[in-house]
Amino acid sequence: MIHIEGVHKRFGQVPILRGVTLTVERGQTAVIIGASGGGKSTLLRCINALEKFDQGHIKVGDLTLRPCLSDGDDHNLHLQLRRRVGMVFQQFNLFPHYSALENVMAGPIHALGLSHDEAAQRARTLLERVGLKDKLDARPATLSGGQQQRVAIARALANEPAAILFDEPTSALDPRMTAEVLSVMTDLSRAGQTMIVVSHAMGFARRTAHVVHVMVDGQVIESGPPGEVFDSPRHASTRELLAEAES
Amino acid sequence: MQQRDLLSLFALRMRQRAVARRVRAAWVTLIIGLPSSLVLESAHASDVLDRVRERGELIWGADQEGGGPFVFPDADHPEVLRGFEVDLAELLAAELGVRPKFYQADWTTLPEFLENGAIDVILNGYEWTPGRAERMTSTRPYYIYQLQLMGRENETRFSSVDDLCGGGAGARYDVSVLGGSAPALYLREHCSDRVNLVEYDGNTNAMMQVAAGVHDATFQDLPIAVFYRTLPQARGLKFIGEPIGRGYYVMYLRKGEVRLADALNGALAGLIADGRLKKVYDNYGLWNDTQPGLATATLDTTEQRGHRGLAAVLQYGPILIKAAGMTLLLSVASMPIAIVIGLFVALGRLYGPVILRAPLAIYVEVLRGTPVILQLYVIYFLLPKLLHVGFNPVLAAIAGLAINYSAYEAEIYRAGLQAIPRGQMEAALALGLTRGTALRRIIVPQAVRIVIPPVTNDFIALFKDTSICSVIAVVELTKQYNMLANNTTAVLEVAAMTALLYLAMSYPLSLVARRAEAALSGEAKHVSVA
Repeated sequence: MIHIEGVHKRFGQVPILRGVTLTVERGQTAVIIGASGGGKSTLLRCINALEKFDQGHIKVGDLTLRPCLSDGDDHNLHLQLRRRVGMVFQQFNLFPHYSALENVMAGPIHALGLSHDEAAQRARTLLERVGLKDKLDARPATLSGGQQQRVAIARALANEPAAILFDEPTSALDPRMTAEVLSVMTDLSRAGQTMIVVSHAMGFARRTAHVVHVMVDGQVIESGPPGEVFDSPRHASTRELLAEAES
Repeated sequence: MQQRDLLSLFALRMRQRAVARRVRAAWVTLIIGLPSSLVLESAHASDVLDRVRERGELIWGADQEGGGPFVFPDADHPEVLRGFEVDLAELLAAELGVRPKFYQADWTTLPEFLENGAIDVILNGYEWTPGRAERMTSTRPYYIYQLQLMGRENETRFSSVDDLCGGGAGARYDVSVLGGSAPALYLREHCSDRVNLVEYDGNTNAMMQVAAGVHDATFQDLPIAVFYRTLPQARGLKFIGEPIGRGYYVMYLRKGEVRLADALNGALAGLIADGRLKKVYDNYGLWNDTQPGLATATLDTTEQRGHRGLAAVLQYGPILIKAAGMTLLLSVASMPIAIVIGLFVALGRLYGPVILRAPLAIYVEVLRGTPVILQLYVIYFLLPKLLHVGFNPVLAAIAGLAINYSAYEAEIYRAGLQAIPRGQMEAALALGLTRGTALRRIIVPQAVRIVIPPVTNDFIALFKDTSICSVIAVVELTKQYNMLANNTTAVLEVAAMTALLYLAMSYPLSLVARRAEAALSGEAKHVSVA
């Protein structure tokens, strides 16, 4: 489904990704854990072309992203790719001038070209699915953080993407809101949605992930089922990371 | 080269006057002029001649922007004043045993400067009119003027003012004049509905626009026509028909200053009798067959009194309301254009191709860094010369204001767009929106909410800036006020009506703006949370 091969990226002189190779199968929930600054978010942003990279390639289905020299080159490719891969941000990034419903309708109407009625129908269904049936007309500012993030998940689902990228979706939330968002994500995972999740929520990773990838200093140092990675980490850095997470 | 003349004229004008002064001067009447004139009049009345002698100076007010042959800066030494009135002031002061002191003030507001005591006498081609004569004390005439029609050298459609008023083939002729001048009054009185009167702030502009083909003819005081006939400003123009009409230039003093008036009249009589006045006029080519009449000229003081009070309100109200309509038209037509251009300039600078960014930055800096009056000159006076097409003054004014304000709106929008968090664009792109759609649907609507207060503020500023457009012959409220106030005794009524009209227009505007802000403020808060 998603195959990342030898991706390198640097910001100026600082290398962020140093040859990342990683595969996510259809229907799989992959959780990427790792210390801050290890390149996890950057990797996600490369997958839907919000960031460019310098070397390697990324395949999403039959679309292949390569390092490009200018902005305009891959305009169409980027549009196709982003319609196929949804994204959920740490800070939600809901559109403040739209209601919850309109936020979810934005993709179907402006990216997929659905009619207003179809988009509204789809948006209502999705908001119901994330437990916000009674907040359709609420503006983002009147919603709690957890509610906002659930709207954002519904918004990402509205394009019916093949995969959804979650960039630290609960880092800005308190524990109770974290739980409500993770519960929605767990439901999605069980329903067979392909997901790549960058998160510090180890419990979620252990319970829900099919595969856990450990990223340190711009490289994936260890991958495997959560049981293996959490219970018998092979890498010293992984052990340190897990120890820090427990303390 | 005409362009060079025009540019040097710009430079001269920019030096000589800031428009702000002119606008400010109009309001001087309301704030200082009127009350102080009531108080000072009596204080000065009895002893002004003594005070002149005591101080050893006769302070005479004139506007050197009015130009030749009256008072104008020497071409080689701009700090030295020339003109027959400079020479006349010299002679008159000498007769009184004092020195002349020139006081620069805007022509239309000279009576205000007289009444608040800044000057002793107006000596600047002020025609004798009943309205002025009632407001101020006049001396005997020092020049008998006539009016002269001028047209392009190849003009064949009309050969006199009567022809001109008869109209062309189905169309009325455009005639440029100095706003509020004797030629303007003459045409209004004798053929008001049969020509389009275009009123300028300066004589030379009125002439140059005829030469440039924008208007059909210009109607001028004969001395002015004679003076400019050989100069670049009137190049391509000829005299059409004989001079007509007859009127007097007189000096004006504060009401009731009889002693100073007697002294000046006596001095003038001496200058006329011994031929020194003729000599001055000869130097400027102004002496002609009508001038001997000066020796015996008497002023017709039996004219009807000007209206005051309610009668003045009824008489001048409609004219002022019409001018207020122009003010409103200029603002509501130019601001939307400015907002749209400004938005696109800001978008271009922030999101456009790199190659566009430098030109757009220059656009903003040039328009912000140069006065709007200069831009109006370029659009209205220079472009017709370069492109050989004339612009309607109102359209040129709207274009000038819109372009000037677009630079300010662009900067406001730029700030507004930059205030939108980066995550908004990323979230929109991540949904598969194109950059254009993301800007149109997500970024710009949020920026618009942020910029409403500063844009409203600019709208009110623009509303007041419309008064600058009088320099390109657009008669809006301030200009109309100036022209009326200069020719009437009912200054208080006219000033009060003008102030009320401005308030009546700007207050509802503020209310609408405040309501819009209130309606959107809830949403503006959302923006800051995101």
